Amino acid sequence: MAGVLLSEAEKTFILHGVQSDLRNDGRSRQDYRPIELELDIVTHANGSARVRLANTDVLVGVKTEIDVPKPEKPEEGKVEFFVDCSANATPVFEGKGGEELATEISNFLASSFASSMSFDLKTLCIIKGVQCWKLYVDILILECGGNLFDAVSLAVKAALHNTMVPRVETVAMDGGNVDLQLSGDPYDCWRLDTKNMPCLVTLSKIGEHFIVDSTAEEEECSMASLVFSVTDGGRLNSLCKTSVGSLHPHTLAEALKVGVDVGVRLNKALDQALAREDRRLEADKPERFGFLK
Amino acid sequence: MAAQYKSIHPVKYYRDFLAQDVRPDGRTPDKTRTVTVNANSISTSDGSATVRIGNTTVICGIKAELGKPKADEPESGFVVPNVELPPLCSPCFRPGPPSEEAQVMTCFVAKATSGMVDLKQLGISLDNLAWVLHIDMICLDYDGCVQDACVIALSTALRTVKLPKVDYDEDTKTPTVHLNQRTSVDVKSSPVSTSFAVFDEEIILSDPTAEEESLSSARLTVVTDGKSIFSVHKPGGSTLTEVQLQDCISIAKERANLVNEMIRVAVGSVKR
Amino acid sequence: MPSDNRRIQGPEVSSPYCLFQSGNKNVDVHSGRSEVLSSRKDSRKFMEHRKIYLKTGVVSQAKGSAYVEFDNTKVICSVFDPREIPNRIEYSQHGELFCVFKFAPFSCLTRRAHQQDAQEKELSLCLKRALEPAVCRHEFPNFQVDIYVMVLENDGGSLAAAITCAGLALADAHVPMYDLVTAASLGVTGDKLLMDPVEEEESLCQNPNKENQNHGLITVALMGAHTQVTQMWQTGSMTAACVSDALTHLVQICEETYPIAQRCLVKSVVDTISKKAQ
Repeated sequence: MAGVLLSEAEKTFILHGVQSDLRNDGRSRQDYRPIELELDIVTHANGSARVRLANTDVLVGVKTEIDVPKPEKPEEGKVEFFVDCSANATPVFEGKGGEELATEISNFLASSFASSMSFDLKTLCIIKGVQCWKLYVDILILECGGNLFDAVSLAVKAALHNTMVPRVETVAMDGGNVDLQLSGDPYDCWRLDTKNMPCLVTLSKIGEHFIVDSTAEEEECSMASLVFSVTDGGRLNSLCKTSVGSLHPHTLAEALKVGVDVGVRLNKALDQALAREDRRLEADKPERFGFLK
Repeated sequence: MAAQYKSIHPVKYYRDFLAQDVRPDGRTPDKTRTVTVNANSISTSDGSATVRIGNTTVICGIKAELGKPKADEPESGFVVPNVELPPLCSPCFRPGPPSEEAQVMTCFVAKATSGMVDLKQLGISLDNLAWVLHIDMICLDYDGCVQDACVIALSTALRTVKLPKVDYDEDTKTPTVHLNQRTSVDVKSSPVSTSFAVFDEEIILSDPTAEEESLSSARLTVVTDGKSIFSVHKPGGSTLTEVQLQDCISIAKERANLVNEMIRVAVGSVKR
Repeated sequence: MPSDNRRIQGPEVSSPYCLFQSGNKNVDVHSGRSEVLSSRKDSRKFMEHRKIYLKTGVVSQAKGSAYVEFDNTKVICSVFDPREIPNRIEYSQHGELFCVFKFAPFSCLTRRAHQQDAQEKELSLCLKRALEPAVCRHEFPNFQVDIYVMVLENDGGSLAAAITCAGLALADAHVPMYDLVTAASLGVTGDKLLMDPVEEEESLCQNPNKENQNHGLITVALMGAHTQVTQMWQTGSMTAACVSDALTHLVQICEETYPIAQRCLVKSVVDTISKKAQ
């Protein structure tokens, strides 16, 4: 992915580290690096989050817009993922370099959220067949230090959790035209149900073992990696092999178990962090006064 | 040995063959390749056909959709033919927007087949709703005379189209489609195009392969239904005498009769 | 919509007529579900793959080509000579595969656009990842092999058909390879597994009808001689146990289709030799 050059000796060193369950930075095979999470940092977006996973830095903003539903799915809203690999992240992304990776990430996110059990698009419907909400999830990759998929998914779930969708107060139908009246109070919003939304877990195979949260250097040594999209309840929403290299079916089945296990733990940790952030934001909420209250 | 000779000096290689009045693939200069027509090969389309001329393969699929008619022709529908030369058919093409050749071919095919369907029969409700026939011809193997294969494929596919009955409710502005009641499209004419290549400014090769096309000094395409002529297209290059042109036209007429018979048989064999 | 002056354009908006058919379509979906739960429309067993037809050397202008049919699903693929990787400054140790996956405009129930859309880009990448492990990429450093796949008719399992097709086309083009790749897809709805689902079953598997029901699609590509999974792609929502169960079935089916692909390749080699001998 990122242009890290390693010599054979360095690769062997990393490989041996993984074998003895003590990686370069002192972690074991199934440890994540420290994760920082911030919510509501872009004022103009309806929801936003920033996740920093060691050197990987991702910013996600969610914008809502009113749109017309698709004719074949009149009861559903829309959601669109857009990934921007900033050239600041790594020189490889200059020009069109990051495009393939960007489509890979956005497509994978789209298929992870596709199941109506994770994200029920029907909640975004305003008037069946006429008006619905469309969510634009813009993902900006600021720095790339390995394990992009996981960091992006954490940020996306956090940003969606943080998203405030304005409440529609009145709807007037005038012939074919629809007149929507949004609530005048900017705090009169509803939030999305993020309970069943998935997190992505990337497992990279180095030597005989799978590791989670690989650094850029470790990614360079890995022959095969698998991305899992796991929900809170341990269900798989999507799975894909994302690198060159192949796997024996038995290894794959083993990886499945590890991936789901890690995914559930990751979801739990994220939920706790989100609750903590919510409490902090709630405390910071400006006191409302005046006759418009 | 022959293969090396051919790649080093292709023109001379052809000259040696043509001196014996035969082409490298065993045909005489005026002989056309075998045509095979297969109607209704794609079930997801509303009408389709696969046509092979020698190696050249073109598949044509028609998708019918509903749209609003143009303001200046409120009672007419649309026919939207497009030829695609995807990179898979030949190493000459790259992915991306259509190449110049594809655009020229689309233009040619659209003009040659423009009189086949009366657009008025595609209208459903005046100024409100009309059929849009998206006709996509995709070349799968580019070995010369692709435009001829396109015209034959289009003509065959159009005859297999069965449009469902549509009722349009003027008040609610919604159409209702009855999938069980289908009617065919009335096709008025049956043009068949036949191409020729001029080699060394004098020998005329009927139905050239891609290789012969690239070595030729001029090209000629005659569109006819066996009786009358729809178009004669000769875009520059070396000149032709009147007699040569007449010869080409008579070959084209003969072939048109043959091909139209094949189309009739192929369409007739389709059971739906 | 940006206007495209390189093609003949129809009206700006046109919609497929299936949307307006008389009678409610939702009713069909649910009746279809209960039918599928008892037996399949084409009277196949649940773990039975459709009949496969394979042919190599279908495109005369290409270095290698193949055509695959899974009953109504029809896919054609051609592969061209390696060429230098365009617009690349640094030297690449391994050769690259350049895959383009495209649905023909008339191949699906609703019309497809001429330009590659997001789904086609995703499938292109999946295809590339499925083929990469099978190709000896160190044999042609700094070169790329172009692989073009076109789905002529999609009746489910088009990715699996495309992978099998492209694997054969690569072999037909004499690209050095470790092994052939064969692929198969499987649909999950509730506790039912449907091997090689058709389009209708695929759309059933994409929508759950009850809470907490397993649903989704899985495609697996396998190198038969080495028993190595080169690609696994799952969507929907299901338990890990369900995925590994599906994996075993899919690997088994891929192993069954492997000899068919081998035989097809042997036949094409024998044909070429006997043609040369004449």
